[in-house]
Amino acid sequence: MLLIRCPYCEAERPEVEFTYAGEAHIARPADPSALSDDDWRDFLFIRTNPRGRHFERWRHMHGCGRFFNAVRDTVTDKFAMTYKAGAPRPSDEEIALAASVKEARP
Amino acid sequence: MLLANHPLLGKTITGDQTSKLTIRVAEDVARFSLRIDPASAPSAGTAFGAPLPTRIGGMVETGGRTALQLGPDEWVLTAPVGESDGIADAFAALQDPHSLVDVGHREVGILVEGEAAALALRSAIAFDVEAMAVGTGCRTIFDKAQIVLIREDKNRFRIEVWRSFADHVWGILQAVSREIALGI
Amino acid sequence: MTNFRIAGKGRVNRSRQIRFTFDGVDYAGCEGDTLASALLANGVHLVGRSFKYHRPRGVLTAGSEEPNALVGTDRGNGRSEPNTRATVLEVFDGLKTESQNRWPSLTRDIGAVNDALSMLFSAGFYYKTFMWPKSFWDKVYEPVIRNAAGLGKAPTAPDPDTYASRFAHCDVLVVGGGAAGLAAALEAGRSGASVILCDEQAELGGSLLSEPAAEINGQLAWDWLEDANAALAAMPNVTVLPRTTAIGYYHQNFVGLCQRLTDHLAIVPEGAPRERMWKLRAKQVVLAQGAIEKPLVFAGNDRPGVMLAGAARTYLNRYGVKVGNRVVVVTTHDSAWHAAFDLAQAGVEVAAIVDVRGTVPSQLAAAADALRIRTLIGWTVTGTKGRLRVSSVRVNPVTNGGKVGAAETIACDALLMSGGWTPSVHLFSHTQGSLTWNEDGQMFLPGRGMEECRLAGAGKGRFGLKAAFEDGAAAGAAAAADAGFGAEPAVYHVEGELSFTGVTGRELPTDRDPGHAKAFVDFQNDVMAKDIRLAVREGFKSIEHIKRYTTTGMATDQGKTSNINGLAVASDALKRPIPAVGLTTFRPPYTPTSFGTFAGYNKGALFEVTRKTPIDAWAEENGAAFEPVSLWRRAWYFPQVGEDMHAAVARECKAVRSSLGIFDASTLGKIEIVGPDAAEFMNRMYTNAWTKLAPGRCRYGLLLGEDGFIRDDGVIGRLAHDRFHVTTSTGGAARVLNMMEDYLQTEWPDLKVWLTSTTEQWSVIALQGPNARKLIEPFVEGIDLSEGAFPHMAVATGKICGVPTRLFRVSFTGELGFEINVPARYGRAVWERLFEAGQRFGITPYGTETMHVLRAEKGYIIVGQDTDGTLTPDDAGLGWAIGKTKPDFVGKRSLSRPDMLAKDRKQLVGLLTTDPKTVLEEGAQIVLDPNQPVPMKMVGHVTSSYWSAELGRSIALAVIQGGRSLQGQTVHVPMPDTVHAATITGMVFVDPENTRLSA
Repeated sequence: MLLIRCPYCEAERPEVEFTYAGEAHIARPADPSALSDDDWRDFLFIRTNPRGRHFERWRHMHGCGRFFNAVRDTVTDKFAMTYKAGAPRPSDEEIALAASVKEARP
Repeated sequence: MLLANHPLLGKTITGDQTSKLTIRVAEDVARFSLRIDPASAPSAGTAFGAPLPTRIGGMVETGGRTALQLGPDEWVLTAPVGESDGIADAFAALQDPHSLVDVGHREVGILVEGEAAALALRSAIAFDVEAMAVGTGCRTIFDKAQIVLIREDKNRFRIEVWRSFADHVWGILQAVSREIALGI
Repeated sequence: MTNFRIAGKGRVNRSRQIRFTFDGVDYAGCEGDTLASALLANGVHLVGRSFKYHRPRGVLTAGSEEPNALVGTDRGNGRSEPNTRATVLEVFDGLKTESQNRWPSLTRDIGAVNDALSMLFSAGFYYKTFMWPKSFWDKVYEPVIRNAAGLGKAPTAPDPDTYASRFAHCDVLVVGGGAAGLAAALEAGRSGASVILCDEQAELGGSLLSEPAAEINGQLAWDWLEDANAALAAMPNVTVLPRTTAIGYYHQNFVGLCQRLTDHLAIVPEGAPRERMWKLRAKQVVLAQGAIEKPLVFAGNDRPGVMLAGAARTYLNRYGVKVGNRVVVVTTHDSAWHAAFDLAQAGVEVAAIVDVRGTVPSQLAAAADALRIRTLIGWTVTGTKGRLRVSSVRVNPVTNGGKVGAAETIACDALLMSGGWTPSVHLFSHTQGSLTWNEDGQMFLPGRGMEECRLAGAGKGRFGLKAAFEDGAAAGAAAAADAGFGAEPAVYHVEGELSFTGVTGRELPTDRDPGHAKAFVDFQNDVMAKDIRLAVREGFKSIEHIKRYTTTGMATDQGKTSNINGLAVASDALKRPIPAVGLTTFRPPYTPTSFGTFAGYNKGALFEVTRKTPIDAWAEENGAAFEPVSLWRRAWYFPQVGEDMHAAVARECKAVRSSLGIFDASTLGKIEIVGPDAAEFMNRMYTNAWTKLAPGRCRYGLLLGEDGFIRDDGVIGRLAHDRFHVTTSTGGAARVLNMMEDYLQTEWPDLKVWLTSTTEQWSVIALQGPNARKLIEPFVEGIDLSEGAFPHMAVATGKICGVPTRLFRVSFTGELGFEINVPARYGRAVWERLFEAGQRFGITPYGTETMHVLRAEKGYIIVGQDTDGTLTPDDAGLGWAIGKTKPDFVGKRSLSRPDMLAKDRKQLVGLLTTDPKTVLEEGAQIVLDPNQPVPMKMVGHVTSSYWSAELGRSIALAVIQGGRSLQGQTVHVPMPDTVHAATITGMVFVDPENTRLSA
């Protein structure tokens, strides 16, 4: 069972309190009717599915109830960082920094 | 008034003679789910007649009324049953946008008390119950049921659980209390 | 019975005799014995038959790695278990055990014919032999194989035991209580860190239990051990868990421990769980699992009486049991010499030490001379004899050039072997930690780790007691330090060390044809060296493929004794070095673990949550049959005496249509949507328009996914300008709330609206039928129930029977109906009062089946039954529920995708069978032309089908391609024995004008 840091509770909590919610940073278009069929299809169905670093959404369903974002490695399952919904996609530097802070934790 | 009823009414588990563990149903309370922008928490506290905690997990008790913060904009308010209408009226007059929903009948309270209380809860709760601070509460999972767990004292916890999950939680506590009584 | 117990040796309690049986024979053992040590003390080596060739097998090891000595156990009261390893099973009074894989008896076994036919059962035998003729598989091969194959006999009765689980958190977890683990736990414990030390055996000590002569810091090993146990027990921050196996190591230092609580007890206390699964999170982990001795690979290495030298030494020193009267030792490693020495000193005749190496350390040779043991240095073993127990061993000299000389036969009743030691790196491997090949030691050692984890002692190739203590102490101190506790590792002085050099043997050289040698690599799976060579000859190059083709290293034993030997044989055959061949993956659990332990408390009534409504107990008392609906159990129908389901449902339906029915609808999902932007939120989520819905009125709401397909539906009441009472399907409640929260939190965080689940706040009593109003009128306060003031699809708050209510005028039956929401704790009382008062109307409780029939008669859909995640509102005939002028709502854009507008989409329609008595099967496929050749073109399927008592005939709903344009046409439903014809109709079968709603 993974431990996941909820950015709202500011605490590491057990995985059973969370639900996975798919890839992050896919915003619903403000005016869906303006999209072509292909663009709408891409919004609905096309995901990156990377090997390695993945930006993804989780919900602290059985905790504070909030959706949030996480950077997780799909090979090692390790979380580099989590951050609040609506926050911008973190840069490589921010991710590296967050991961190094985590490593340095006693 | 008609007879009120819930699945655990009148039930108690006495773990063993040395009472390292007692599990019983809590007295009924009025319960509200309050949702409001945290910026408006002070005025909500005024309406409630007791200040609201300002961090997730925090709990404030004032004169029999308790506010527990479960999420960034979510509090559960409890009070003696008779004060329910008064609280609803007070919030009806609150100008700040908010949602107050009566959930008094949604849940059942279970008190887990004694030296072995934390040990008993560890049977079905994944986070570190022993490390939970007194006077805090949180939503979590107990086996397969969602609960709110409150640590009222070092050796006294309160579980709040939706009524249809209460039997399941109770059944596991019963099995656990047997283990603890046997000392294995 | 011969007694092989040696006076003055061992730790078992001789004053406490244990009686147990094996294959019906009564034996005596001592407290502290395992089944294996107790049987060996009685001179019993033959304990089972191998699973493929049914070869006689004996005890090979003295630990959990045992591949041979698997027995069936009966602990009384229906508690039985197959494949228990005799080497870990603690004996207790009354224990019954039996050997496996034999018939009619262990000594005379029909299945042993497989051994004679072993040439037919080589690697890949199943794949090759039974491919042809294909038709033989089901009827001939599979039944025969199924009957003959398998390990042990699975119990047929339900497991009577209960199981427990527990979460734990600690600073340092130490796995293994041998020298290294004890040193680590002592160090971490002294630092003040919270420590859990687990060991799979009944007592701590590991190899120290077999080394009574060693001296640690001036104390004899067992004295030191006693003090160490006492020191650990005195530390309140240390928890010691004996009989506890770390079975799996998962992410972020999450480790599963299986603790055996009662298997060793003759009398199990009532209600005591058998085993407990610890789900442990440790800041730091120290793995001190030790090493496992390797067998040597030579012809006849699997006879009873052939065992690992280290195991023989353990039986002698720990259990006081000699494994034979005249033993031969064959080895490539120093450690086996000490087994010979200890046995000789205990008075056992050691006929020879055969060392395959060209030279051995001189002090070993000198010690052997002193004990007058014959040594054969640079010799090999080429065969053994003895049907049910080894009786002699065939040995040959090997010249420098590798030429095998003339054979000599030495009589013996036990043959002890050692091919060196394999560090136990299973748990480390579970974490995706990499392993690196150590050429000097011919072993895989832990490489780069993925977790906060250290290995110590023999488990990382540091052999010997001094190394283990020092390595363990260092690891324990470092782990404590990393967890935030200062510690300085203690220094250990050890005297009486074993010598620990050796080489890893390949298959031993032989003067015979190795292609015929029954030289076993994997004892449990009956895999021989020649099987692996055959796999390579047949083109298997990857070790993972060789493993699966030959089955070496599979099953419960996970290759503990066989892995490296198998790899060495494969490496030779592939002519590639071992690291280039690679290692197969070790999988959890480390040792076989009962399903009960994984289930924990979740068996019987606690298997899964069973949600019950406040009215459920009334239904039970009144004879309801129940059905599960998601986690809920719901009253299905209320049979009266002599009624079957069909009769009960027909009666219930009739009562609702003619007078009055009462139904528990409490399981309906309920969400309260509150805030100034509530209507705007509703507009965006649901297909319908909500702005103009007046407070006090309801509307049927339809919810789509963003893909345009129907997700849920329900009646939604507007209680106030800023407050909606949403209902969802029973199974959809949590899903819908999650979906709403997702949009609200992540797409529209600016909206001032909040969502609260009120499913369990309210008990819902549906009263349906022409007399519904008449019944409730006298009980309702504060609501004018007249048709004008409170029409169909109205909602109001007031009181009923003196308690608060949200009263809905709604109907899922087509009749005049109310759904009475009352606070849950009053649900049953209100129900009972209405039921009592309803007697004058013949009030009839009905269940979900009647509800389904009544709604189908009206063509009301059930999401998830009539829809399957591929139906749009238009497909379901619900196009009217779409707010045409709304610019957007969830799923709207998808409704104009080309596929969604296709003409031949499946549409929901009614279906009336030509024979009115035929009730179609739900899920049955529909074709247009029943005479077309098979496979027929299927154009749809039946979604709902019932007997309608109201119409005196069957009715059905179905999805059919272009169904609405085929109204009146006949379609066909082929079944195994017949074909039913049916006519496509509209979906409303009863009261199409809806006159009854306002009756």
